[in-house]
Amino acid sequence: MHDALLRAHGIARRYGSFEALAPLDLEIRPGERIALTGPNGAGKTTLLTMLAGVHPPDAGGIAWSDVARGHVGWVPQRPAVYPRLSARENLVLFAGLEGADDPAGTADRLIARADLQEVAGRRAGALSTGTLQRLNLAVALAGSPRLLLLDEPTGTLSPDQRMRLWQWLDDLVAGDGMAIAFSTQSMEEAAARADRVLVLGRGQLLHDGPAGALDDAAFLALVEDA
Amino acid sequence: MRALRAGSLLMRKDLRVLVRSRALLAVLIGYPVVIAILLAIALSGGDRRPTVAFVNLDAASGRTVQVGDERLSIEDYATRLEDDVDLVRLDPAQAEEALADGRVSAVLTVPRGFIADLQSGLKPPVLQLATNPRSPIEAQAIERNLESAVFRLNQALASAYVAQVLNLVDLIQDGGTVGIFGRAGTLLGLAQSDRVLRQVQAQLRADGRGGLADRLDPLRDYITGVGDNLELAKPAAQAIASPIRLDIREGAPGREPLSALGIAGALVVGIGLVGVLLAAALLSAEREDRVLSRLGRGLVGPGTIIAQKALLAAVACTAVGYVLLGVVALTTSVAVGRWLLWLPALLLAGLASGAFGLLVGALARETRTALLAGLMIALPLAVIALIPGNDIAYWASALAGFGPAARTFQGLLVDPEVASSTYAGMGILAVVALVYGVAARVALGRRMHS
Repeated sequence: MHDALLRAHGIARRYGSFEALAPLDLEIRPGERIALTGPNGAGKTTLLTMLAGVHPPDAGGIAWSDVARGHVGWVPQRPAVYPRLSARENLVLFAGLEGADDPAGTADRLIARADLQEVAGRRAGALSTGTLQRLNLAVALAGSPRLLLLDEPTGTLSPDQRMRLWQWLDDLVAGDGMAIAFSTQSMEEAAARADRVLVLGRGQLLHDGPAGALDDAAFLALVEDA
Repeated sequence: MRALRAGSLLMRKDLRVLVRSRALLAVLIGYPVVIAILLAIALSGGDRRPTVAFVNLDAASGRTVQVGDERLSIEDYATRLEDDVDLVRLDPAQAEEALADGRVSAVLTVPRGFIADLQSGLKPPVLQLATNPRSPIEAQAIERNLESAVFRLNQALASAYVAQVLNLVDLIQDGGTVGIFGRAGTLLGLAQSDRVLRQVQAQLRADGRGGLADRLDPLRDYITGVGDNLELAKPAAQAIASPIRLDIREGAPGREPLSALGIAGALVVGIGLVGVLLAAALLSAEREDRVLSRLGRGLVGPGTIIAQKALLAAVACTAVGYVLLGVVALTTSVAVGRWLLWLPALLLAGLASGAFGLLVGALARETRTALLAGLMIALPLAVIALIPGNDIAYWASALAGFGPAARTFQGLLVDPEVASSTYAGMGILAVVALVYGVAARVALGRRMHS
């Protein structure tokens, strides 16, 4: 297994007769920042949900390293928190469900890390879009993840909210070796925020290489040929 | 252990959310409780006294009839009927109009010659009853009421007649003055006849006419035999007057006429709706809040979610059930009793309706749809469960556990000893809970992982 957090072998998924993801191999190492990009219906979310354990693959399997097993954070595209609970109550609940010994202490630490002190007692349903997305991210951190999977985390945010979220994410993962894999519709965002880019099209892995290795023309050629 | 911890965390979360969602709480618990109370009152109001028009066409005769020591008139007859119905004295035209307008439930007519027929004893007098064909159920109830009233009146009259006949028997045996059905006279009596014959025989023998005296012996034997047989006829006549007697012991007057059916109905509707709506709303809310993908990643399994919400629904139903029973115990004279036995009955009924609601919640896409679907399915089934003595209604409503719940509750309220059918009802509730719980778990598992 060497130093890989996970190694996926031939994982695939079908929805009826539609092949959402063709058999695919993937390896993620500690500290990596991977962007999944491609047009709508390319299979980005399908791949992330399988890695997150939301949906099991129809074929293939995923092998986890000892440090990563049970320590995967999942950030769905739309905030998945209880709107009638406060931000803090959501964090305490999910920390408890993740098996934290001290859910309240974990929640307070996450509140500080996610800069949610001012809104900690406010109901999640009453938070602004950007703050709610920060809470959505903080909940994913409740299980002390070694790999954070984010499904279009900035898709619903304004440009300034997007920028602030990335600054916060950069601070969050800096120095603790957490790997990040996120999906995005933006090639620019992928190139700017990741050090490795995977391009998917019609359920096929079209490209897996370092960020910046793919210019706009090459990206368009890839997805149009798919 | 992990599942228990996850279940308790979700339980606390659900309670917190419910306490904060007062409008939702009012819909999920307040509404079913109000419906249950209204239903209890409606079902218990079924024993109200019907109003019946009373038309006396024999009033002009002014006749009365002597029955034993009593002298009966039509008004006496009517007064006795008023034990069972409210009589409104009207003329035939008014009565017909009142029946057509629905102001009275029936018209009871005393025909001309009623007292004369009663007096003659030659043919039974006839009362005429006309009911409203637009209210067949009420008409049946009135017919039963008046049949019962006429039966009791007939029984009283029969007893009086038999007493009079027995007086006549005494007269035949002992002699005296007789007055029955308007006829009067003096009877010698068998005992006196026997004495006269004995004297005659003694006189004949003294006159040396023993042969003639002996010829009177068969007559004396006949008189003795008739007397003995008449003695035997007395208990037989009394038995004919009342072949079977019903001994009714009335209890202390109640504070409120709530019936067992009304209470059981209120409990079934209250608990059924609370269980179905609460469970459906709690589960569909998890989906609406989009947290199922998060929970389904190994944090909480679908079985734990179903078990936790079914338990919460069952506890809520039990609490509502005990509150309703407490209200019944405090405000009525119905003996609720068996407080401990109510615990498994209420819990199982809550589990069954909760599991049914969970299946609805697992299949629905959003909370509003789940609530509407739950209400549309549960309410008619709960009402069907209240139809007494109908197997089709029982098994139809058993689809959501309501039929077995209704029978179990009635058994606990009415049966002097807890019958096996009450425990069987609880068993069916457990099976219903299990079947819907498994179905809901499968449906939720598909939602979480598809």
